[in-house]
Amino acid sequence: MTRLTRLLGAAFATLVGLFLIAPVAVTVASSLTATSYVTFPPQGLTLRWYGEVLAKPEFLSSFALSAGVALAAAALSAVVGLAGGLAIHRHRFPGRAALEAVLSSAFAVPTIVLGIGLLQWFAQMGLASSPFTLLLAHLVLTVPYAVRLVLAGLSGLDRSAEKAAAGLGAPPFLVFWHVTLPAVRGALIGGAFFAFITSFDDLTVALFVVTTDLQTLPVRIFNYMQYDYDPTVTAIGTLMVLFAVIAVVVIERFVGVAKLFGADTQERS
Amino acid sequence: MTTMTDAPASTEVRRGRLRLSGVRKVLGGKEVVSAVDLETEPGEFLTLLGPSGCGKTTTLNMIAGHLAADGGLIEVDGRDITTVPPHRRSMGMVFQSYALFPHLTIADNVAFGLRMRKVGAAERRRRVADMLELVGLDGMAGRHPRQLSGGQQQRAALARALVIQPDLLLLDEPFSNLDAQLRVRLRDEVAALQRRIGTTAILVTHDQEEALAVSDRIAVMAGGVIHQLDRPQEIYLRPATDFVAQFIGEVNALDGTALGGGACEIAGRTVAATPAGEPPAKGAAVRVYVRPEVVRVGHDGDGLRGTVRETRFLGSRIRCVVATPAGEVTAALPYDAAVPQEGEEVTCTWRPSDASLAARA
Repeated sequence: MTRLTRLLGAAFATLVGLFLIAPVAVTVASSLTATSYVTFPPQGLTLRWYGEVLAKPEFLSSFALSAGVALAAAALSAVVGLAGGLAIHRHRFPGRAALEAVLSSAFAVPTIVLGIGLLQWFAQMGLASSPFTLLLAHLVLTVPYAVRLVLAGLSGLDRSAEKAAAGLGAPPFLVFWHVTLPAVRGALIGGAFFAFITSFDDLTVALFVVTTDLQTLPVRIFNYMQYDYDPTVTAIGTLMVLFAVIAVVVIERFVGVAKLFGADTQERS
Repeated sequence: MTTMTDAPASTEVRRGRLRLSGVRKVLGGKEVVSAVDLETEPGEFLTLLGPSGCGKTTTLNMIAGHLAADGGLIEVDGRDITTVPPHRRSMGMVFQSYALFPHLTIADNVAFGLRMRKVGAAERRRRVADMLELVGLDGMAGRHPRQLSGGQQQRAALARALVIQPDLLLLDEPFSNLDAQLRVRLRDEVAALQRRIGTTAILVTHDQEEALAVSDRIAVMAGGVIHQLDRPQEIYLRPATDFVAQFIGEVNALDGTALGGGACEIAGRTVAATPAGEPPAKGAAVRVYVRPEVVRVGHDGDGLRGTVRETRFLGSRIRCVVATPAGEVTAALPYDAAVPQEGEEVTCTWRPSDASLAARA
């Protein structure tokens, strides 16, 4: 009986894994096809489409824009998330409850609605489309998440530890540095990681905010596919997957991905 | 714990004289600490004892500097520290929740205060090792707090507080999270360690037995004021107020009329006790507080007459309830006492020095 359930469980897990991996595998495989159209299984084997990607400067500049905005979104989300989390957790100020409510309901707003709203708003404020407006748009998506993570990290911090540190001779900044910051370190890295992926991956919001000269990589791929559906797009897709894999490996090396998402379950007795 | 060869404070001039004068604190529009005065001797173990909300923790936080006093003066060894921020006071604090830094090893936790004081690496290592040995945690230096039991964590917190050789050791309900057996063992260890090192200690607790067991003196607090500040025996045998009498242990509270000095008349009998403070004027309404342990039940002497209602064997003592015209008097008799029969006519007596007498509101 238990052996049967275990067997069924393993089969189910395998199927879920396959379902998740399959589209990526198809994309990667079809990027190697020798045909001039996307097909699976690939026919022949060539790296020609990767050469095509590198030969198109608009793809490279879009990649640079996407990566730059994503990095900035990651850094700013961490900083704003920390400041916001600390303010909400530590202080009672007018509008605190409203701020918390807005931050938690931000997840519920469909990104397409957000895109339309931001388009209107930026136009009325007279803000021309720029990497800066794109960054602002992405921060709307990422900051609420970062604040949530920081709040979760802070709730695990014993305020007495801060008092203890102060009593042992640590001035306020060193208390923050040695006691508060380590408690939210995982939250900050997680928030930054999430912000980077969200920003780098975003199509919906970016579609409304960008212009023809300023296109993020997803927007560039989307537009490209409307006219040409050759394996260049699958090659770019493969490169993006590779990029994400490298990011995860690097983070795993320095922090541990599991830790980012609160899987630090070692008990405290 | 092993013996320590170089007790840090024993060779130095003893310091750690804390003085509070008229210290007040208002929180949320309510005065939670009202004009508290107290002074410790260097090396003394002083306990702030009281129920939750009595102002004891607030007082401790003002001593540590985590809360600003709204009035009054806080001095250590003659230095006014009322407005000095916590990190410039020299106080080691131990908390109910241990409050260790979870991301640091035990050795790094203990070394934290020395690092903040810029003590060199070699000396730091030596002092941390000495302190860990002193609290019985040698061999745990490389572990993280979550790998230790509650008792071990609290020992580490104690080491972290003591290694900086603080002016004062502040203990905020440090044993409350431990199970009963460990609580008793650790509290006795802490008291022994404090006496050996000679650091002045201020303990905050709501546990009266704990306070009686470890303190040189106890300040019993309620409603933001100190009701009585005295040695444990005084507090126990001669409570100064109704609150102190009722809060600590069991007590017989008997109402009567003062006859001058320590004498008073209760239900037509003359009894004696020790006045708390100025003896009440003759004819004043007074209350006598007598602990069950000091009541003797017999047939001679001046005392309250009554009828034995019940006797009960309680293991460590025999409990005997006597119905008198002034109300029931409970006596906790030792094994070797002559145990009266139920219904027997008896006289309840006590030594005047073992009971207190205070004016009745």
